Amino acid sequence: MNETAADKPNSPEPKRSNGFKISRRAFLGVSGAAAAVLAVVLALKRPKFGPDQGFETQETNGLARDENGLPAEVLIPTSCLNCPTRCAVRVRRVETTLGKTKVVRIFGNPASTYSDGRCCSRSHVGLQVLYNAGRFSMPLRRRADVEKGRAVSYENDFEEIGWDEALQEVAGHIQGTTPDRLLILEGLNTTSNEDLIHQFALACGTPNLFKEEGLETDADRRGKMLADGLGNSGYELVSEDGTSAKYIISFSSGIVESERPLARNLRLWGKMRRELPNRTKVVSFDPRHSVTASRADEWHPINPGSEGALAMAIAHVIIAEGLYDADFIANHAEGFEAFRTVALAHQFSPESVSEACGVDAETITKVAREFAQARPAVAWSGEAATGWAYGTFASHAIYCLNALAGSIDVPGGIVYQQYPPYAPMPALPVSQTGITYYDMDQAAGGMATAIGFNSNLIMSVPESGEGAKWDQRLKDLYYVHVGPARSEMAAYADIILPTCTYLEDWGYESAIPGSGYAEARIKQPVIDPRDESRPPARVIFDIATLLGQAAAFVPPSSGVTGDSQSFPEQFAAYRTSPFIAWDDFKRVGVWKGGAYSYRSYAFGNFRFHSEGLERVRNVDLPREEAPYGLELAIYRPVLEIRGGSQNFPWAQEMYLVMHGRGWKNLVELNRETAHRLGIGEGDEVIVESAFGEIEGEAAVIEGMRPGVVAIATGQGHFASGEFADDIGCNPMEVMGTEYDEESGQPTLFSTRVGIRKA
Amino acid sequence: MANWGMVIDLDKCVGCQACSLACKAENNVPHGTPYEHDRHHDMYWHKVIAAHEGEYPAVNTQIIPMPCMHCSSPPCVNVCPSKATFKRGDGIVVQNFRRCLGCRYCIVACPYGARNFNFKDQQDEEYQRPDLPPDLAAEVGGLKYGAEIGPWPYPHRTRGVVEKCTYCFHRIDEALLRIENGADIKIGVDVVPACVEACPTEARFFGDLDDPESTVSRLLASRTYIKLREDMLTNPKTIYLPR
Repeated sequence: MNETAADKPNSPEPKRSNGFKISRRAFLGVSGAAAAVLAVVLALKRPKFGPDQGFETQETNGLARDENGLPAEVLIPTSCLNCPTRCAVRVRRVETTLGKTKVVRIFGNPASTYSDGRCCSRSHVGLQVLYNAGRFSMPLRRRADVEKGRAVSYENDFEEIGWDEALQEVAGHIQGTTPDRLLILEGLNTTSNEDLIHQFALACGTPNLFKEEGLETDADRRGKMLADGLGNSGYELVSEDGTSAKYIISFSSGIVESERPLARNLRLWGKMRRELPNRTKVVSFDPRHSVTASRADEWHPINPGSEGALAMAIAHVIIAEGLYDADFIANHAEGFEAFRTVALAHQFSPESVSEACGVDAETITKVAREFAQARPAVAWSGEAATGWAYGTFASHAIYCLNALAGSIDVPGGIVYQQYPPYAPMPALPVSQTGITYYDMDQAAGGMATAIGFNSNLIMSVPESGEGAKWDQRLKDLYYVHVGPARSEMAAYADIILPTCTYLEDWGYESAIPGSGYAEARIKQPVIDPRDESRPPARVIFDIATLLGQAAAFVPPSSGVTGDSQSFPEQFAAYRTSPFIAWDDFKRVGVWKGGAYSYRSYAFGNFRFHSEGLERVRNVDLPREEAPYGLELAIYRPVLEIRGGSQNFPWAQEMYLVMHGRGWKNLVELNRETAHRLGIGEGDEVIVESAFGEIEGEAAVIEGMRPGVVAIATGQGHFASGEFADDIGCNPMEVMGTEYDEESGQPTLFSTRVGIRKA
Repeated sequence: MANWGMVIDLDKCVGCQACSLACKAENNVPHGTPYEHDRHHDMYWHKVIAAHEGEYPAVNTQIIPMPCMHCSSPPCVNVCPSKATFKRGDGIVVQNFRRCLGCRYCIVACPYGARNFNFKDQQDEEYQRPDLPPDLAAEVGGLKYGAEIGPWPYPHRTRGVVEKCTYCFHRIDEALLRIENGADIKIGVDVVPACVEACPTEARFFGDLDDPESTVSRLLASRTYIKLREDMLTNPKTIYLPR
């Protein structure tokens, strides 16, 4: 083996081979001399950060050595944004001997008690989000003669323009659009940027702000709000003093796979299983032997969409046998009598529901008894339970089980999230914005201009395949994409405004429902924004300034200057000023609110809603007949990065842990179903519905309800970059549009498909 | 000298693979491609595997994180013709890339699939760690860096050699040096391998198997444990606590 001096570790930016070959003896001599020279250079030219970087309190030179001659730790507190949980993290940054700054590791932040200083696997992928080769370096404008479409070439279809020109053009388009024809799409963004986007929509006077998180959560949220009217309920599972839920029923929810808050769920899972005196029992009802189902104590495969009916059957048993928490019902609930009448009806008896959900009546009765007698007990509604036309009612039925078990507002049960007391933003003439998917879908044809902030719409809505509804709509719109890297939405853009990633951004994050107590986390740049990319807050502020709305974000008394470059930091500092000094926030990274006070019942009375509940009984069972007899179920694996791109090789190569497969998603079928269809393991198959078809690789497994096809989301990209494009398929492309009538959420689970060999 | 071992609680593990990712980031293990993945040419010093048993609906899936087992009687060491792989005094089985011939006998001998052959020159990635390895001239825990085991080419790999998990020995050795210089830290508590540190469910534990006070010893004393493929008399030091 030939080595050069540069092969020695710690030498500056080593290169492996330059064709220069020397003997081992000569090498030793040369490398010894080189090492000596290097040591001198290192001592003399140790790079330092300037004081303007704002991290004076830390030793910032990665290769600087401490008194033991070891590399000093350089950890900058900030927070993750690879999923909506937004965990507090610390980022290790080093500086090479050539003065190049590198971000090399991401750890949890022990100051965050929300997930005990832990973060999940997604957070590590942040390095590849930051150094994604598909990032935009300059604002891009679509060339005049280039049509929009999936076969995008960012090099040829777009031309680089300056920021001033790009912002002027965007502002001009907004001014030329009446507010009701302006659509604002919000993908996954930092809380502070979400606040700015909301305020920006109000300043533009448009009601059409669509939050894409609602595609997954609106029905669930709505069903819970029928009962408490609050919309901030979360599953605490383990309280701060160690009281844990004793029993968890998972209704098709990926508690340790995808349910938010994921990192907290993972940490608490460890606690509930082995660290607390009473091991929590987990029962999973799920058509699929998911990771959660496999880690649970019991898995009962059920028919897709029957979770609501099952919840009512469990309620039936609990009420019939008088096992419910009579004290809570008597003092803190209303509407129970009507609910009781509905639940006790014959159609919700375990025997009657048993056929619909495919779980025998004895099991339902047993689980109901155990659930009601092990307090606190939690019933967790997953996306697959609520993504149906009656999703709101299914969510409500499941939520009511928590009330029957007396788990509302008690340690380890359901808690109502508190939020940090941010400094106010100014009131604007238009005070309401935000539309449901149903409203947007109906109005989208009339929209003229759309701005997407890290939007991922085309990958996450039904009827999004080539030539389908959303493909056509996005082609017709004037679309401005605001985001850091290549993505499918950017492929439809007329103008792309390159923002920095979350690791280069200023801002703050609020803890999402789960802990009860409030927690705020900082976002601060661990490295300067790459190339010409700018923080989203600055982009929003600049566009608003051009529209004459610069005063929409902070009141004049805030002390925030009108300087666009320093606006993102000043805005975050102003908003968090009521509860933490900015310098302390930058140093610690986390602020924690006061202890949660249980049994305060902020919602007044828990309202059992009984009207429409019988709809959860309308379960459509899998059928055998051609052409579309199978039920399509999607799921979200843990390594689906939720920020809109999947161009991250670490996440891709370990994508499906249950299959040991990477760089792929699979068309998963029960062995019996596969046999009936003549499909074998590894066959290329076509999944078709009335709305389109996709091609994928079949996986024949035991852990799946017969008649169900499961496909993981997060693949099927076509414009994200070399590590994401043309890998797997996107199940959304074969889905048809149906809505949950109460919340307007699209039903992502009700499409029927057929499968044949390719 | 300590006898380092790892205990993994399979009851807590949920297969999130934070361990595998932390390992890649910590040790600059190169990522693969779809082509390499299909041919099992991609490299993992740590991998999470899922083993399925039973027929629908009585299905059972074991999710098992797989670092190197760091066997007390490592078959890979026995077969290595160039003594490139060896057991350190503290029980960690390491690979000297400079001695490795690339014959891959060790890969065949290892009953756990813990070893990887490096088929390619590593691309320079911006997030790789230039601060590795511990460039120590001092004698640490009876091991002389430079003299005995040579400097370790972590930031950059050599094509055509075998690589494997090291229990993040650079962290351990660094801690030993700090302790020698009076730092109040404990290996297994304050300093652990990257996979242990990253585990969100706290399912992994690291420490001295010979120290009766260590967490790993206490866990092994209190629970039933499994050593994989014990019949092969490898006596692994990565030990599992079943569900």
